[in-house]
Amino acid sequence: MTNVDLRRLAPVDLTGYRLGQPQSAGALTMVPIFGPSYPDIAPPRTGLKLTKVDGYGRVVLTNPGGTGVAIVPLHIGWIQDGAQNHALSRSAFLAPGQELLFADACCVQAAQGGFLAERDQWFFVLPVELRPAALDLRGVQNYSKLWPAISALNNRYGLAARGHLEQILTRRRAVLELYQSRLELCAGQVGALFFVGSRLAGVEVAPDPRYFAEMWMALVCFAYGVAAWHAPAEESTAEPYDVSTVEELRGALAAGRRARVDRIAGWLADSDWRDVQQTEEERFLDLRLSTLVGERVGGQVVTDHDRLVYASVYSRALAAQSA
Amino acid sequence: MGELATLIAHLRATAEPVFVPRRGEVRWDDESWHSAAYARDPETYALLALVPGVTSEQRTRVLLRLLLASWADLDAGVRSTVSRVVRVLIRGLPATEVATALLAARRRRANHKHVTRAALSLLAEHPRADRLVATHRAVLVACLEHALGKTTARGAVRALAEGRPDQARRSVLRFVSDPERASARLVALYARPAGAVDTLDPGPAAPDLDVDLGSDPDLGSDLDLDLAGERPATVTTTNRGDVAATLVHMYRGGPTEALRTALTRYVDAAADRVARYPGTLALVVDASASMRGYGDREWALLSQAVALRLVLERACQRLVTVSVGARLDGEAYAGDGSGTALATGVLDAIDARPDLVAVVSDGYENVYPGDLARVVATLPRSGVDTPVVFCHSAFGHSDDLRRRRPAPALPHHAFWHEADFAPLVLWLLAQTGTAAAEAELTAALRHRLTALELDLEGRPR
Repeated sequence: MTNVDLRRLAPVDLTGYRLGQPQSAGALTMVPIFGPSYPDIAPPRTGLKLTKVDGYGRVVLTNPGGTGVAIVPLHIGWIQDGAQNHALSRSAFLAPGQELLFADACCVQAAQGGFLAERDQWFFVLPVELRPAALDLRGVQNYSKLWPAISALNNRYGLAARGHLEQILTRRRAVLELYQSRLELCAGQVGALFFVGSRLAGVEVAPDPRYFAEMWMALVCFAYGVAAWHAPAEESTAEPYDVSTVEELRGALAAGRRARVDRIAGWLADSDWRDVQQTEEERFLDLRLSTLVGERVGGQVVTDHDRLVYASVYSRALAAQSA
Repeated sequence: MGELATLIAHLRATAEPVFVPRRGEVRWDDESWHSAAYARDPETYALLALVPGVTSEQRTRVLLRLLLASWADLDAGVRSTVSRVVRVLIRGLPATEVATALLAARRRRANHKHVTRAALSLLAEHPRADRLVATHRAVLVACLEHALGKTTARGAVRALAEGRPDQARRSVLRFVSDPERASARLVALYARPAGAVDTLDPGPAAPDLDVDLGSDPDLGSDLDLDLAGERPATVTTTNRGDVAATLVHMYRGGPTEALRTALTRYVDAAADRVARYPGTLALVVDASASMRGYGDREWALLSQAVALRLVLERACQRLVTVSVGARLDGEAYAGDGSGTALATGVLDAIDARPDLVAVVSDGYENVYPGDLARVVATLPRSGVDTPVVFCHSAFGHSDDLRRRRPAPALPHHAFWHEADFAPLVLWLLAQTGTAAAEAELTAALRHRLTALELDLEGRPR
């Protein structure tokens, strides 16, 4: 898919990036993005530590590394045994050795208490259906601010209508985690386009392959897997090709694959996300963290002058259905 | 699909148990199928009961079909094989299922000498016969008196009870391998123990039987008819066989001389346990990232797929390997990030003109999903009659593979442990459909029959 115009995806320069071979699992299609690495960014699993939950809606993160600024992934959240589960409503920079309080975090568990520090934990990224609400509420210090959206999402998926994201993430974890095998992370991959059905659901670009690999499971299983799991999958038919030799079969197979790539390129072309407002939020040396808000799109990006470093941009359309 | 493959597929399918009603015909929905298979080739039909994965219900049907038939016209060699299969089935099936087959033979008035032997074998040699005597006394009496004749049976029991075993030798004891044990059980059978759960009177006017013998696990057999061997209750990446475990360590930490030496030894040993494959087998190995896996299961599926390939390299007259998603050069693994394009792999395999194409994959066809099913459906009209099968790579015995069938129409066989290779190769031979492959399959089943007999006698294989 090298001929696709990536500039339609975000108001940033994506020169130098190229798309790989699409992969699909049910309603979820992932198109790998390959491109230049940006050096010295601490990856999230090793470069970012949830130090403590300092009260409802208050999360303290640390960058324990000695080198490399950490870019906090947008809408990252943690599930901890015996502790209140939280997600962040925004991205941020953490300098090496820095500890930072996020007082505008979202509690994603409407019952059961606990502020335990540094327990066994695993992280996720908020499902795309919740991301617009979370981003819109950044800066708002109200730990229960995301409960109405979570409750609506649970209700939409036939679960008890309450602000428990655990109903989706933990109870369906075994099924959702299959996406990390059903779709495969490619060597050198720095990002991906995610489609749910024929709709572009998100564009994720990491500073380098290691950072993206550490985000892979959280993105494919939870950020986009939840919506895909509940979306109707296209029924594939085993209708034979109209051919009479193996060579003709190879030709028909290749043509069918080209048609499929063209179809996905068409989905991309229908997803013009350029009409957005970009607002700078934070700086770290030459790095700029900006928020994108548009009618159809939302998210945050990190740039170094004109160069893209990090992007987590999603469709608002998927969320509108659950709000 | 070849004839043997069709037969095996039927025998491995779920079936209702044979039912012997109080009145009317024995309920056995596929009797004509079994009769036709027996008529075509009695010896092969009998041996197919020993194919791993054949259901207990179908093994009972084979036993019943063999008991009902007259063996008088069979060649001596065939008769010997059939007799040996009957013996291992009687000892290897749950006692209640053997009793059901004997009851059905009684209803059909099958009065062959091998039925007599079978009834006495159940009583004298089945590992759970003592419990069966206690719980299903009337059923056993009915089977026995049908086999021996009521007067003969009771006369023999009376002689045994009164300490005159010589008078029971000709009618009963000459048919059993352990006369002392058989004598004790016969006497116990007619002693009407207090623990008997059925109430049928074995007296002179024993009524017809309408008995659901149930599936009491304590009436099962400890003879492993599948020769499946011991499997770990808790599966880990490195307890799924020696070859795969060694490969896991090589992938994790790089090859060492000790690992290489051990790998050769383990592969040789594993290859000795599988049947030979005559002809050309094309193996399409999914080596994509999902086969590599992640976390605690990293390398598990891939190492077992590579282990299978290494074993098949020794077992096959010619093996052609097509890797999809990565290069598999000896000890090295180099993922190419191309995903799982199984359809292309199958077409590349077809170019080698094999006798069979076997796709080894976890079933995640993420690049161009649906292509494998379409290509396989198109092969016959493209002039290709080479059979294609799907070998499903699983982590353990509890994997749910239902959502991982990229081409549901393909014949399908799962494997996860090195001990699964032998059954898998038998299945591949059956799917191949050539005369040479079917001859090799029959020979392998004879070996399994011998192995079962050695197990019965407690001797090393």
